[in-house]
Amino acid sequence: MALRIDLKPALPLIPLLPGLSLLGILVVMLRDGHGGGLSVLQQFAAGAVQPSIDPIVLGSLLNGLQITLVIAVMSWGISSVLGVGLGLLSSSTFWEIQAGVRWPAVILRRWLAPLRAVHELVWGLMLLQVFGLNGWVAICAIAIPYTVLMARVIADQVDCHVSPAIPVLKGAGATPWAVMLTGLVPPLAEPISDHIGHRLDCALRSALILGVFGLGGLGTDLSLSLRSLQFQELWSGLWMLAIAMVVLDRLLRTLRSWSRMLILPVAMASPWAALGWGTQLDLQLAWPVAEWSMVVGNLIDGSQGFNTALEISWPGVIGATVWITLIGGCVATGLPPLLLLVWPSQASLRLQGVVWGALRLIPAPLTALLLLMLAKPSLSLAGLALGLHHGGVMGRVLIDEIRSTGLGSAQTMKACGAPNRVSWLYGPLADVSRAYLTYATYRLDVILRDTAIIGMVGGAGLGWQLMEALSSFHWWLVLWIVLISAVLTLLGESLGERLQGSWNSRAMAL
Amino acid sequence: MSVRERRAVVATGLIAGLALTASVSSCGAPQNDAKQAVLQIGAIPDQNPEKLNRLYGTLSAELSEKLDVPVRYAPVSNYAAAVSAFRTGSVDLVWFGGLTGVQARLQTPGARVLAQRDIDAEFTSVFIANGASGLRPFTSANQLVELKGRRLTFGSESSTSGRLMPQFFMGENGVKPEDLAGGGPGFSGSHDATIAVVQSGAFEVGALNEQVWRGNVADGRVDPGKVSVIWRTPPYVDYHWVVRPGLDERFGEGFTNKLQSALLDLSADTDDGATILELFGAERFIPAKNEDYVMIETVGRQLGKIR
Repeated sequence: MALRIDLKPALPLIPLLPGLSLLGILVVMLRDGHGGGLSVLQQFAAGAVQPSIDPIVLGSLLNGLQITLVIAVMSWGISSVLGVGLGLLSSSTFWEIQAGVRWPAVILRRWLAPLRAVHELVWGLMLLQVFGLNGWVAICAIAIPYTVLMARVIADQVDCHVSPAIPVLKGAGATPWAVMLTGLVPPLAEPISDHIGHRLDCALRSALILGVFGLGGLGTDLSLSLRSLQFQELWSGLWMLAIAMVVLDRLLRTLRSWSRMLILPVAMASPWAALGWGTQLDLQLAWPVAEWSMVVGNLIDGSQGFNTALEISWPGVIGATVWITLIGGCVATGLPPLLLLVWPSQASLRLQGVVWGALRLIPAPLTALLLLMLAKPSLSLAGLALGLHHGGVMGRVLIDEIRSTGLGSAQTMKACGAPNRVSWLYGPLADVSRAYLTYATYRLDVILRDTAIIGMVGGAGLGWQLMEALSSFHWWLVLWIVLISAVLTLLGESLGERLQGSWNSRAMAL
Repeated sequence: MSVRERRAVVATGLIAGLALTASVSSCGAPQNDAKQAVLQIGAIPDQNPEKLNRLYGTLSAELSEKLDVPVRYAPVSNYAAAVSAFRTGSVDLVWFGGLTGVQARLQTPGARVLAQRDIDAEFTSVFIANGASGLRPFTSANQLVELKGRRLTFGSESSTSGRLMPQFFMGENGVKPEDLAGGGPGFSGSHDATIAVVQSGAFEVGALNEQVWRGNVADGRVDPGKVSVIWRTPPYVDYHWVVRPGLDERFGEGFTNKLQSALLDLSADTDDGATILELFGAERFIPAKNEDYVMIETVGRQLGKIR
């Protein structure tokens, strides 16, 4: 009798598997390597230790940083508050408690999904067309997708933290609101406030990227310095950004150490504080007037809407986008656990934190330019550039998870005689694998949308096509690309959910 | 109450107080909506921030003094965003490239070209090649066909000198974007980055603004052993000042003409004038009109950058 055994990799090995892609990328990089840009890399490195201290540069950067912070804090606060509300409304549990039915939650979720599938950058560029240069454009561009994303995470959390006390409370005749307050809120408070805290870092990076695309703030300065290869000026901005990131991180940690719940009142109060701060800056915060005629007129006039769709060879473009995203996703997911196992010690965690911080700090277009100094352009190089940047985010998630889970399991295994590396692999890495992989699936669609910002490696992918269509003010094509991107994002999301299901790790706290 | 709880209560109180104060003070603070009175100027992002801030800081002060109105410079880091900002009225006077200026005027009925630099009437782009590519200087335009199968990069997607005109001349000589290696050109994002990626060898050929090329050569940022010019395009019109309609109603009769004169009167004889012209890389501004850019519009339409 034949015995069939299904070979499945152990859970902690799954996050390591994508790291295998690094071998392929290494082969491509060696094949395409030229090393002709070493002098530019040297200038870049020298800029780090000798940033510009020109008062005009520093003044402009400081003003830009404040604008970026105001935009980030404001959009974060607004999206957190609205996101929690919408999250509750789009959870089945809420409707079951309130009305005994589930369908309103399903409908609301379906309605919200397309809003989430459009990148904040695309929102920014589209709102800019209608409202012009205005602080609210940047704030809304971040707040809209962030609110809906937050609502999705909150709804997932609500639905997977259903307390057994709820039916009992209902049976005892408690009012629906009383059931929610006592049965639902307590187990949810901690994961929700953790997630809200995490989103501030994301909002800061989004505000920066919007600046790169013309909406003001530090991103504008960084992008201008990058394009003129003024590395000393660029580094003044990067150092300022690094300091801001560390300070924000510390503030959040301190708040969390006092009480995890504090983040909620902070998020509620922050838009008001940021509004007060914003009025002192060179930031247009008067409510903008919409100017729809141009965009809508073009779409109504454009009788060739369907023919426009034939201007792009979709299979090639979609293929390139998916390929870049996959490579980026594999690098971003595989690199952090790999580095953790290369150097498994408590002391190295801090250093690894610095490495991930540096990768997060350097924008993906800059990483792409630096890589081009070493190798010829290719889709792999584009994927690697995105992967390194997002690896910074994944690295932070991994280290934060390991720190909050603790290193007890590694010590136990070591005490039993396991070698150091093995005890880290089957100890802390195994403990956090599920949460880490869940986060990786969320990250994939961010990478998909970020393909927009790496045109310099060969104008490939949907993101690049979008930039080209936007700069030609070709609204029908913009519409098609946004639609196709949204469909791809939603497909990616449902694939992600299946993967999460197979790892039994749905809706872990992020 | 434990220490931790007390801290949390104190912090909540502080946050609430701070938010209340900030929102009350923001309600009382003057909003920046005195748009009627301020002349907003902008520029497409083609220089480093230090230079842009210095240039437009000085120019704003100069225009403000000459025209007796407050002038504010709004930095924009994206070509398409500059066009949109002009159309929606976020900026009144913008230093545009050839293509973006035409896009902006077509989207803003009544907008007009005010002036260009002396060098803009006959502007040129250069094709540069990495030494290892084996490409030698072309003696005639039809040699552009040698670019087929090469890795080529443009600058920004909306740049006239870094993309539009080079692509037009390539097309005139039978080279389509899909004939290039990799199925299309790269877009380095800027003229400076084009030099860097061609010099490094990542791309074999690049096309860019000749003024920027000369500037880089003069500053010693180009290694002549690694990269050199292989072809110069015929001349075309490029950068120019474009102004929104309706300024006369906002700032008084004849304001637009006064603004044009203020730009044309900039001269190297005054300190500020000399600084501004030097940063613009010109000796003076000359009058220009909408009709001068008909050729750019035709090329823009032909290449699908104007719809």
